[in-house]
Amino acid sequence: MKPLIRFALDSVMYVARGSAIFYGWIIFLGFLSFLMLLGAYEQFTKGMIVTNYNDLVSWGLYEAQFVFLVGVAAAAVTVVFPSYVYHHKKMKEIVVLGELLAVSAVCMVMIFIMFHMGRPDRLWHLIPVIGIFNWPHSMLTWDVIVLNGYLGLNAICAFYYLFMKYTGREVNKLFYMPLVYISIVWALSIHTVTAFLINTMPSRPMWFHSMMPIKFIATAFAAGPAMIIISFLVINKFTKLKIADEAIETLAQIVTWCLGITIFLGLSEVVTELYPSTEHSFSLQYLIFGKHGLTGLVLWYWSAVVLLLAAFFMLLTPSLRKNHKLWLPLACAFTFAGVWIDKGMGLVVPAFIPSPIGEISEYAPSAIEIVNTLGGWATGLLIFTVLAKGAIGVLLGELKYRAATDLASEFSSEWQPVVHSSEEICK
Amino acid sequence: MSEPRDKDEKKKDAPLKPDEASRREFLGGAGLSVTAAALSGAGALLSGSDEAEAKATWGEWFQKNYRLMTEDEKREAVLRLEKRYTEEFGKQTTVDSAPAKEGVLFGYALNIQKCIGCRRCVYACVKENNQSRDNPEIQWIRVLKMEKGNFLAGDMDKGYPDPAGIQVGGNAYKNSGVVLEGEHYYEPAEVPEKGYFYFPMQCMQCEKPPCVKVCPVRTTYRDPDGIVVIDYNWCIGCRMCIAACPYWARRFNWGEPNLPAEEMNPVTHYLGNRPRMKGVAEKCTFCLQRTRQGRYTACVEVCPVGARKFGNLLDPDSEVRKILEKKKVFRLKAELNTYPKFFYFMD
Amino acid sequence: MRKTALAMLASFTAVLLLAPALHAEDTYIHYLKNKQEPADCFESRDGYSNATRTEVEPGLPNVKCSNKTGGVLWWGDPFDGTEPMGEMPVEADYTREEAVVKPRTGQLKYYMPCTACHNGSMVPYPKNKNPRPLAMHQDIVPDSMNLQHGQGAIWCLDCHNARNRDTFIDHKGGEIGLNQPQRLCGKCHGEVYSDWRDGIHGKRIGSWEKGGKKRWWVCTECHNPHTVQERRFDPIAPEPRPQYPRTRANADHERGHGAGAGH
Repeated sequence: MKPLIRFALDSVMYVARGSAIFYGWIIFLGFLSFLMLLGAYEQFTKGMIVTNYNDLVSWGLYEAQFVFLVGVAAAAVTVVFPSYVYHHKKMKEIVVLGELLAVSAVCMVMIFIMFHMGRPDRLWHLIPVIGIFNWPHSMLTWDVIVLNGYLGLNAICAFYYLFMKYTGREVNKLFYMPLVYISIVWALSIHTVTAFLINTMPSRPMWFHSMMPIKFIATAFAAGPAMIIISFLVINKFTKLKIADEAIETLAQIVTWCLGITIFLGLSEVVTELYPSTEHSFSLQYLIFGKHGLTGLVLWYWSAVVLLLAAFFMLLTPSLRKNHKLWLPLACAFTFAGVWIDKGMGLVVPAFIPSPIGEISEYAPSAIEIVNTLGGWATGLLIFTVLAKGAIGVLLGELKYRAATDLASEFSSEWQPVVHSSEEICK
Repeated sequence: MSEPRDKDEKKKDAPLKPDEASRREFLGGAGLSVTAAALSGAGALLSGSDEAEAKATWGEWFQKNYRLMTEDEKREAVLRLEKRYTEEFGKQTTVDSAPAKEGVLFGYALNIQKCIGCRRCVYACVKENNQSRDNPEIQWIRVLKMEKGNFLAGDMDKGYPDPAGIQVGGNAYKNSGVVLEGEHYYEPAEVPEKGYFYFPMQCMQCEKPPCVKVCPVRTTYRDPDGIVVIDYNWCIGCRMCIAACPYWARRFNWGEPNLPAEEMNPVTHYLGNRPRMKGVAEKCTFCLQRTRQGRYTACVEVCPVGARKFGNLLDPDSEVRKILEKKKVFRLKAELNTYPKFFYFMD
Repeated sequence: MRKTALAMLASFTAVLLLAPALHAEDTYIHYLKNKQEPADCFESRDGYSNATRTEVEPGLPNVKCSNKTGGVLWWGDPFDGTEPMGEMPVEADYTREEAVVKPRTGQLKYYMPCTACHNGSMVPYPKNKNPRPLAMHQDIVPDSMNLQHGQGAIWCLDCHNARNRDTFIDHKGGEIGLNQPQRLCGKCHGEVYSDWRDGIHGKRIGSWEKGGKKRWWVCTECHNPHTVQERRFDPIAPEPRPQYPRTRANADHERGHGAGAGH
């Protein structure tokens, strides 16, 4: 029990100390999260009327985040898989960061689910035994299972790994490896089920195609690692932990090829729908060209196209891809933004336009939706920052179990982050 | 609580004669065999109103899914609601809990040739079913104005010639009959307008309802008389059903419903038209508070052209069965295999 | 990039600013707030049969009416002002049903009864059924030489009983009460009559159940036999449109996309 308590205390102490930049970042995220709390109070007391949701477009910005972030969570597998299946040594060193990103992403998913619900106070109705869990009929119940399971798996894996490292012991492979392999398969399942959640509704023809799960996985494995790369570059820049270029290069290649597949699948969808131009393609037509003079999403769509194509060609060029100072982060940011649009405003919203009985409407989020969405992201990033900082401490060996030492002497000298020069990073 | 109901039942010429005996028995039973829980709940409700409302809210929050309640629990839930609504709206409100009648499967038929698009059904429904009147405005029926379409000689040559000049498509018939041709917000001085027909839509009470399948908490389900009902107190507001409905039949209480007391219809059913709360889905129930007592739906009764027909699909002499027998009928989006019990027909 | 972002922001804010205005003019809530519910309402068509709004019992009105058009919107008492249909003009199962109608005589403009004037002395009985110009009732039939019913094949006295003006007359000279126009119309319109009998044509309210009590609407509560050739129904004003979705200020985009555009 003692090491566990010490681990908790040491972690808190370690995470609480940081540079001015670190505190600034935390305050910034905390402020956005605080705004979200106000927005949440507004929404939970007045109802979803404070959003721009309506009977025509009944899912919007929150579900867009939900779908996107499930992908980000699933993308942790792009770190885990090379580490344990291909035994990518450099990747293995930092695999826990990917798992923590998954944990943070699932937390964000939960936040956005809360915002999606009309009656969050009644969520207990979903709990088996005291409520009714309409499993296996309802796709949503499958999603509840896989998301919670995934959260559990990653939390356990990451915690166990870090705790072992903290106490200086070896991980028990009999316990740890099965969990890792399950989590790899599970990662695919969370995004597949999320795709099934929306593509099993013939009432929404834009979603109703079997390409949805594979497109979800492809986009997730483009946007997720892109986010991981950016966070690795940040970690390289602001902390003492040095993440090997090989690990980043592997991830960059995964982004490249998944982006390629994403573009290919997107093109296939457009051709399949627009060539025959049946009634079922109206949503896509509305998205790409606008319909009956309503063009609310056209700009979104074409921005996504430009971002994704630009990112793809940047990543395809080795010299740009290996430039960690400008081009790689830029390409990753483009990928991230492009997929965020493609799976969010470009996927969730147009499926509701036209309505099943042919009414065309438009939707753009309300101020409270935007505040809550930013706050949701801020909260997730806050969680990730805190978790990652602790993990980095363990990985660096700065956070280590020493039964005899007292805390005061351990942290008597102010810990300073090491800021590396860009030459060092690009090496 | 049984006082106003008895009055209601005794009302001369009231069409509500079936099941009167069983209902009386039910109510009598309520008086005699209440459980301790019901007693304490009712006792709390009879005391101070604020406290009563708070307790009613807690009681409602903790109650089970309606379908799984015992008779006693149902009775308790109904009493709680009657008390709360009566206080809230300042008029004696009844909450019925009549189950589906045996040997009845409700069906609906609508003559689209007759419909003139006057929207009186829309508001008959609103008056009957206690929908929120404003912000959000909720209406369960939507009437579409459709163009009859035309062949235009002047547009015969305005096709899609390919570079060789061969015409590969045409524009002479502009109205393609696709879903987007409907107008939802038409407001002419008079209806029907020349060159148009009208197409009302509401819940189709599907035999294989996609909305029921996707509900994660089974708050919406098909009752034995074929009506897809919602336990508003169990709904978590996830809106899967709204996304899954191919007929756009479901509406959502985006905010706290606005139902003026003078507009409120005090004769309600637990699964039907009782006032709803914010954050839950709702839809047409074929006015089950009426139809389970033998009465026609509000929209059937108000239609000025008699385009709306309702009855028991299991009774070969019912209006709907006669229509199925004598007329050509179709169902909307039959290809989705939802088996609607709402038929459209023409003379 | 910046331009794109700015444009996106602009599209955001456009809808944000629009959102609070609910554009409720000419919608239900507008009429509810600004117009009284009329006391005298029309049932099917304005001027054909009316209902006066009263309370059946405290809190239960016999009808609720539209604040906009004055049409009946809701029936509290479906049997308000009805009487038994009388001899059921229907067969088999329906004879056991309790059927009521709203008497037509109470809704007729000149009924005092008719024989108050058309009694052979005050107004002499017509000598034959040949069409001739009318001296009276031109508000009902403006041009009796061109009767808008039957395309010239029939004339007033083929339906109205010349000797007893309080009744109609059938093919064989038998009398039909004014409250049973269906028996008269059914003489020629057999198919419609058969549909009406089955409940397919026309309208019934009350109980849907087999053997339940129903109010049947009779032909002349919806159709005017004197103008039926000009227009089968009198048009009526529609009830208010639904409110636009929260994110829309108008519905201009849905107008005029079919063949009717530009007509």
